[in-house]
Amino acid sequence: MRLHPLSAALRGLSRGLSVGTALFFLGTAVGAIDPPGGVLAGPLLGLVGFALGVGWELLYYRRFDYELTADTLDIASGVLSRRDREIPLRRVQNVDISRGLLQRTLDVAAVEIETAGGGDTEASLRYVSYEEAKRLQRDVGRRKRGHTGDAGATGDRTGQIESTGEAGTGETATSAVASGAAETGETMRPAAGEDDERAAAEGARPTTDERSELFALGTRNLLVLGLVAPDLRALLPVLFFAAPVVGLSIPDLLLDSGVLAVGPRGAALAAVSWAGSAAVTAARYYDFRLTRVGDELRYERGLLSRYDGSIPLEKIQQLDFRENVLMRRAGYAGLAVETAGYAPGGGPAGGSEAAIPLAGRREVRRLARSIEGFAAADLERASFVRPPERARRRYAVRYLLALALAAGVLYAVNALLGGVGAGVGGALGGVGGVGDAGALGVRSLLGYWYAPLALVPVALVAAHLKWVNRGYSLGSAHVLTRNGFWRRTTSVVPYCRVQTVIESRTLFQRWRRLATVAIDTAGSSSLVRRGARAVDADSEEAATLRETVRKRLRTTLAVHRHSATPGRAGDG
Amino acid sequence: METLDPRVRVVWFLGALASALAVGVAVFVADRLALDLGVRVDLLVFVALAVLGGIVALLRYRVWRFEVQEDALYLERGVLTRVTSVVPFVRVQHVDTQRGPVERLVGLSSVVVYTAGSRGADVTVPGLAPERADAIQQRLRALAIESEPEDAV
Repeated sequence: MRLHPLSAALRGLSRGLSVGTALFFLGTAVGAIDPPGGVLAGPLLGLVGFALGVGWELLYYRRFDYELTADTLDIASGVLSRRDREIPLRRVQNVDISRGLLQRTLDVAAVEIETAGGGDTEASLRYVSYEEAKRLQRDVGRRKRGHTGDAGATGDRTGQIESTGEAGTGETATSAVASGAAETGETMRPAAGEDDERAAAEGARPTTDERSELFALGTRNLLVLGLVAPDLRALLPVLFFAAPVVGLSIPDLLLDSGVLAVGPRGAALAAVSWAGSAAVTAARYYDFRLTRVGDELRYERGLLSRYDGSIPLEKIQQLDFRENVLMRRAGYAGLAVETAGYAPGGGPAGGSEAAIPLAGRREVRRLARSIEGFAAADLERASFVRPPERARRRYAVRYLLALALAAGVLYAVNALLGGVGAGVGGALGGVGGVGDAGALGVRSLLGYWYAPLALVPVALVAAHLKWVNRGYSLGSAHVLTRNGFWRRTTSVVPYCRVQTVIESRTLFQRWRRLATVAIDTAGSSSLVRRGARAVDADSEEAATLRETVRKRLRTTLAVHRHSATPGRAGDG
Repeated sequence: METLDPRVRVVWFLGALASALAVGVAVFVADRLALDLGVRVDLLVFVALAVLGGIVALLRYRVWRFEVQEDALYLERGVLTRVTSVVPFVRVQHVDTQRGPVERLVGLSSVVVYTAGSRGADVTVPGLAPERADAIQQRLRALAIESEPEDAV
């Protein structure tokens, strides 16, 4: 199959413009050396670049061919160096469709397909018609589910579903009933021996594609989401565009007010930036809905650009509940699912697609249960084991030391400047370009070197808050860990998804007999989001936790192996 | 619990010596070009780093333990931060044996175990006699195949 004919035009225009502009500037720069004749060099080179870019993309379009076969997606592409790629459908983790404003008006879409291997997106189809994109998404999901009668694939699926739903089958069934009766048959998997009949039955029964909406983000929740989770990445552009609109000049504001005396204009600016970044979040999650189609989750979102993607339930590695401090106050929470598809930080929403950006806490829990077949008891009655009290002392000491250090540095600077006299202060001021008055101001401020010590009560409260939000919980089918005060993340890892267990004790932790246990999955954790970790547990408890997780992994897998079909190929 | 081959200390010490030498040379150049402290700072830095490297190598050797247990590879290591890892065989994707230049010189070998995890995705057991390394690789491979591969993610 070819890409959509318009993609030649779209790709050609964008490539032509980028190559054209680059060459235009190059030509202008070179032309400036020889003014009379060189004036034309820029526009000429720009035109050549444009033509080259358009030509290249035209060839790309002509030489791009893809085909969805019964069990693979084959893509032949490349203008000069050719590449033939076959992606086994059973390995596909995510299928994402995105449409910007322009693409939406032209009714085309970009399709990206992810597997667990490699860092990049494995297949990128830019662009196909929106209809074709939806067809691909649907058919990849359907064929993966063994509608072709491939017994191996079906068996694999059975094992995977059982591996997630085993301990909570009853719960899954009830929540599935709650969210749509048609799903019940899907969630309750049959015994292994019935696979082939099952596959045949599914082939004959078209209802497996039946959709049931799990969640839709209402207007009220959308507004709340914007307000409690404003997109800080949008802050700079918002300041740049919004501030002049309300008649504020940021340099002026900084110059004449200082930090303490910002006043009403600063408040106005804060309000504008909050509203602006809230609007960005709201536009991103506008009309968000999460649907369950057979064994997959589908999400759709976006005001200007629309995104929709599929997440196979059997590939979900772990769930994260994310609640920042505002959300917790207002009784809201968000839910993210982690699959092995995206490279760390590479997903459409930075690593993992939010399954639910924001909903009431109970609603989120209900959805979590229906998504992954969670044992409800693990979530509802999760009793988190907090780190021992000495961990709290540790945090307090850490914060107090930081304050003492800050005060100490200020004191040392103050003593140094005061001891040597005004000459040095003046010289320093001169170097800084502030002048004598500024230097005097700085020095009189340094007189208050003990000011950081005023934060001691804050440090104690902070230590307590850090401590109180930490913990872990061993459930019947999942291990839960919780961390963070400002943005609290509760990770839920099914035992059967655990990859490795790593217990570490730093020098300081050993002094206080503490240890950190990291429970690693194949999900896309990064430096920022470090996956499930039980931080600062008592070291004996940590060892027990490590061994328990290991034992439960073994027993859950043994149960699945016992009930699974033999002769399955690998997964993931 | 198995310990590493004592000769691994030589490997680590030589590694530390190489980096101490590099830092020493850098200090020497910086001293010559800019600082001119008069004392042989470069030599001091080199000796200090080399001694430190030696101590760390000794301590690291004393801490390192590993065991091929019935369901997982178990490792304990780390001088300042003690790390205990458990790598279940079901999660093993593939197993390498590696021999670096210094290791070859001393006649040692390492085993590297890869998983699909997002962090700690590869685990190295250094300082093994080549026969032992091969045996462990064979054993892990057999165990990984025996445990069903679809569980690997």
